[in-house]
Amino acid sequence: MSSFDMISMAIRNLWKRKLRTFLTVLGVVIGTASIVVMISVGIGMNEGYKEQLSQMGSLNVITVNTPWEGDTNSNNQNAVLDTKTIESIRNIPGVEIVTPVLDGWLKLVDGRYVTDISVTGILPEAMDALGYKLVSGRSLQEGDGLDMVLGAEVANNFYNPKQSWQYRYDGSNKIEINVEEDRFKITYDQAYGQNDADKSIKGKNVNIVGVLDPMGSDSWNCIMPLNELESINAESAKAQKASVSSSDGSSAKKGTYQMVKLRVGDLKNVSTVQDTIKEMGFETYSLMESLNAMQETSKMLQLVLGAIGAISLLVAAIGITNTMVMSIYERTREIGVMKVIGATLSDIKRLFLTEAAFIGFLGGTLGAVLGFIASKIINIVGINLGQSSNLCVIPSWLVILSILFATIIGILAGYFPARRAMKLSALSAIRTE
Amino acid sequence: MPEEIIKLKNIRKIYRMGDEKIAAVNNISLNFNKGEICCLLGTSGSGKSTLLNLISGLEKPTKGEIIIHNKHIERMNEDQLAKFRQKYIGFIFQSYNLLGTLTALENVTLPLIFNKVPSKERKERALEMLKAVGLEDRANHKPSELSGGQQQRVSIARAFVNNPQVVFADEPTGNLDTKTTYLMMDLMIRLAEKNKQTMIIVTHDLEISAYADRVIYLTDGRVENIKENKNKITSSAELVKDGGVTNEKEA
Repeated sequence: MSSFDMISMAIRNLWKRKLRTFLTVLGVVIGTASIVVMISVGIGMNEGYKEQLSQMGSLNVITVNTPWEGDTNSNNQNAVLDTKTIESIRNIPGVEIVTPVLDGWLKLVDGRYVTDISVTGILPEAMDALGYKLVSGRSLQEGDGLDMVLGAEVANNFYNPKQSWQYRYDGSNKIEINVEEDRFKITYDQAYGQNDADKSIKGKNVNIVGVLDPMGSDSWNCIMPLNELESINAESAKAQKASVSSSDGSSAKKGTYQMVKLRVGDLKNVSTVQDTIKEMGFETYSLMESLNAMQETSKMLQLVLGAIGAISLLVAAIGITNTMVMSIYERTREIGVMKVIGATLSDIKRLFLTEAAFIGFLGGTLGAVLGFIASKIINIVGINLGQSSNLCVIPSWLVILSILFATIIGILAGYFPARRAMKLSALSAIRTE
Repeated sequence: MPEEIIKLKNIRKIYRMGDEKIAAVNNISLNFNKGEICCLLGTSGSGKSTLLNLISGLEKPTKGEIIIHNKHIERMNEDQLAKFRQKYIGFIFQSYNLLGTLTALENVTLPLIFNKVPSKERKERALEMLKAVGLEDRANHKPSELSGGQQQRVSIARAFVNNPQVVFADEPTGNLDTKTTYLMMDLMIRLAEKNKQTMIIVTHDLEISAYADRVIYLTDGRVENIKENKNKITSSAELVKDGGVTNEKEA
């Protein structure tokens, strides 16, 4: 018996008992819909976490630190972020771009006014990849020299060094400056512009190319090309050595760094790359790691939600079995006749399995649609109640999977009745009057 | 020498009723020729239906061999039997046994569906068969919309549609009135003769035996008597011409 004949006959048999088929399908619809909604709530929760975290920075970025010296657990005490290590990190599969990260404490000068800034030096071409968001201007680009992207709050913190020695947070010495038109300098001299300042230390002209978004970044932190910051730091160290004849060792050997940041192209690879670097003996941090931890906690909740849905589908499966068993009682004679006129055992079995599978498929399809509508309603209600993001998210794989799952449930539920039909003796079946 | 298509060797069917063993079929050996019309005649309880069930493979004999078309029926499993029935055997029942959900045409198509005949071809063949039994204008009626005689016509069409070598009929006219009985018998015999099909008819109706080449009388699970029917008729028209009484005497 061909599959097409099988399906058309199965549908016809189900159609004959419309009400019963409808009620059985309804059970599957409710079961599937509840699973879809429950899972979509779980997915929505994870998506919400992801959104929250990605506002704090890029999920693709991993920060690598040299291990804390006192950490005896670290398996590699001489893990050093030097050029060679950075090169080997760059060669880990999945890594898109790597940049050393250097910190500096500088003063930004606008004519008579100054402000204290922390500066992060990175490879300018890596800035976009590291996920910095800007409110105006542009990111650093390859080939940039003394160019800088300002932290969001930096422009608001200028003060007159002749009057006070730092910015007062009550705003009493606030100075208005114009980021776009003013000319700026930077200097390592912390006393710059003060009455007792060493006039021989001149600032360097710096070009402000952009301003960072206050969301998800340190407001006083500015970004500039690594090599420029390195040379400023070197000058600073030289000047310090001249005045104080001791090295504090803060500026380590040239070509080694305390921190490296890198971007992994595909989110899926972040954890693996991070693990690889950990094995090299470094401390690592990524938002992905935090996300994983958050998702781990929500998994339990998802499991409970999924189980509730699964129970309703189980009940529906029992309904399918019940319907099929009843159907066999009614159709005993019919089964016998089919056997006598040449239906094979597998024809009979497949016919009943097809009917059960069709109930599952129909219920699954309608259930997915119902679940989809239900989650849309939940989202609308949620947003009206002040939720910023969707509570339920239904990806297309969930729709396909739930239909497939319901169909498989149908087949499983129909298996026992189908075997029973198959084993009916043709002779006793046709004798049934 | 006629070709022997069915051979029964010492077959026995024993039922247990508590401690008692009842031999419904007791040591029967028979051969049936190709194209032969044969009547199994007997009172109820004579074992004629059991014998038919054994020959058609619906039941397994306790002992003995059943060979149809050089194949041992008693050794086949259910699937082999199903395949065998698809190809070689047609069935006509007393109570028609049509599927209520299907139309007359679809009922006739059913054996061809199990036999995996392509959709277009089987529809043509089924329609042709319905035409042969005179029901082409009822093709799309459900069994519940047909009279008993019409239902049996559909059932006959279903039995012959796949052109089987052997057609079994179990009390085919048991539910029909005399006039319809003759019409049905004429129809079945005509169809069987046309393709030289062997037909085995179980009945307790003496009138039907007039159509048979051979009449086998059964009593208590044994063959009591076998009569060759020299004045075999192929249509009820001959019966009226010759006078049924004479015919019956000879039989």
